[in-house]
Amino acid sequence: MGQTLVIQPVSRIEGHAKITIQLDDAGNVADTMVNVIELRGFERFCVGKPVEEMPRITTRICGVCPWSHHLASAKAADAVFGVQLPPAGEKLRRLCNSIAYMEEHILHFYILAGPDFILGPDAEYPVRNVIGILDAVPDVGRQVVKVRHMCAKMLELIAGKAIHPAAAVPGGFSRPLSEDERQSLLPMAEEALELAKFTISFAKENIFPKYMDVVKTVGTITSGFLGTVTDDGALDLYDGKLRMMYADGSYEEFPYDQYTDYIGEHVEPWTYLKFPYAKKRGPFELEDNAPSLYRVNSLARINVADYIPTPLAQKELEEFRTSFGRPAQLTLLYHWARLIELLHNAELALQLLNDPEITSSDIRASVTPRAARGVGVVEAPRGTLIHDYTTDEDGLLTHVNLLVATCQNNSAINLSVKQAAKTLIKDGNYDQGTLNTIEMAIRAYDPCLSCSTHRMDGTLPVKVDILSPNGEVIDTLTN
Amino acid sequence: MCLGIPGKVVEIYQANDMKMGKVDFGGVIKEACLEFLPDIQVGEYTIIHVGFGISQLDEEEAQRTLEMLREMEMLADELPELDQGLQV
Repeated sequence: MGQTLVIQPVSRIEGHAKITIQLDDAGNVADTMVNVIELRGFERFCVGKPVEEMPRITTRICGVCPWSHHLASAKAADAVFGVQLPPAGEKLRRLCNSIAYMEEHILHFYILAGPDFILGPDAEYPVRNVIGILDAVPDVGRQVVKVRHMCAKMLELIAGKAIHPAAAVPGGFSRPLSEDERQSLLPMAEEALELAKFTISFAKENIFPKYMDVVKTVGTITSGFLGTVTDDGALDLYDGKLRMMYADGSYEEFPYDQYTDYIGEHVEPWTYLKFPYAKKRGPFELEDNAPSLYRVNSLARINVADYIPTPLAQKELEEFRTSFGRPAQLTLLYHWARLIELLHNAELALQLLNDPEITSSDIRASVTPRAARGVGVVEAPRGTLIHDYTTDEDGLLTHVNLLVATCQNNSAINLSVKQAAKTLIKDGNYDQGTLNTIEMAIRAYDPCLSCSTHRMDGTLPVKVDILSPNGEVIDTLTN
Repeated sequence: MCLGIPGKVVEIYQANDMKMGKVDFGGVIKEACLEFLPDIQVGEYTIIHVGFGISQLDEEEAQRTLEMLREMEMLADELPELDQGLQV
């Protein structure tokens, strides 16, 4: 401990998504590489710790989507202990998950994607922020801020602390929901549902029709999709089995603990972030339409699901499928899919709050340490999140593996950027607009680079190095 | 994996009718919109995502998180580095 310890916030706060574009002799794109910063050392940090501490540890480390890590971790610990949850324990976890989803999806649509669509892709950077949105659609902007804050309050009411939740524990949930609390949550959930309903109609009327040309061209690739479904094929964001659907619509299903039989992890020498691939379908190839290429996140989930088990979201799904087919491939449709999921989560939260069992005090089963492996999976807003733990007989961790959502979209992000670059850069010609469009392609995947790699105006700081055929940097674009 | 680092709010002000703040990350000051955190005060910690304070932490919570990140940072230093000769 003698050395000076600095978290090096500068490298993260000033960090960029680094993109390298290699040109050929004719000035066209030969290759591209996207390098995303990744947190390292986490697995080693966890080894030796008691498994029941993991749901707390993981939330501290991932402050951006703490609930997803919290729940995946609690589920992995449940599996290690081999415990069955009382129904109310599971329902409280599901309720928290649906509220956390609303927080994320509202933020992403209005604040991240919003500038691209509400203000238009050509909007100047200085107005691409919440103030720009407020000026453009003032009533909506204020309601967004209000509901987003209300979701945080709801989580605080149920779980204690909205950030760094310590609510889910191995075997269930740590505190029951009182009838008084349920009563105060109901009107908030109703208000959130109203915003969700408004958002999707607003987007369908005023936003998506204007930008269909952009949706049809930016970052398009063809791939398979991974998501979670129930035994009868319904969308489920908290529990079920994994379904890997290929581009032709055929699919394979597998339980969580067999994920290593279906998902391989390829390593490239130029980035720390691994490249997961669907290994039953072929070797790793960083190529559009490669048989082993798959994507996660909203579009993947609504593609793999046969139906959505809440009525309003199901109706939206049917309309979406009529327009775009199944599986829908256009990358910018991730935004549309996110709004269907927002609606589903708002319906779900209300449904759970109206379930008489939600206030049951039987919320936690007792657990006993043992040597075992447990795999816990949830659908995080950004995609399938896998926590895989192994313990010794005292319940101390001997092995930890995390497969996170942004990582699973690593290939897709790289390929969508390559597609965008190839379309935009011809005969050595490119400009700042090239960068804006590349940024849109990345943003559709909502990658969590780190808190830092976004700037005040909501842009993703992107640095593009343009290389000559012999590898010299001939130009650098930044936003 | 993503990472939200707590930063300390050192100044709060209004701009364009929005609650804004200056947030200190170990000496690097960033501006953020604090409109989602109506209760946050100077001296408290926040995690910033896409330019927005998305959560509020007290000093103790923040220090625990920072301690954990420091420990991980050290472990990461022992891992092999990428080949510096490659374009990244």
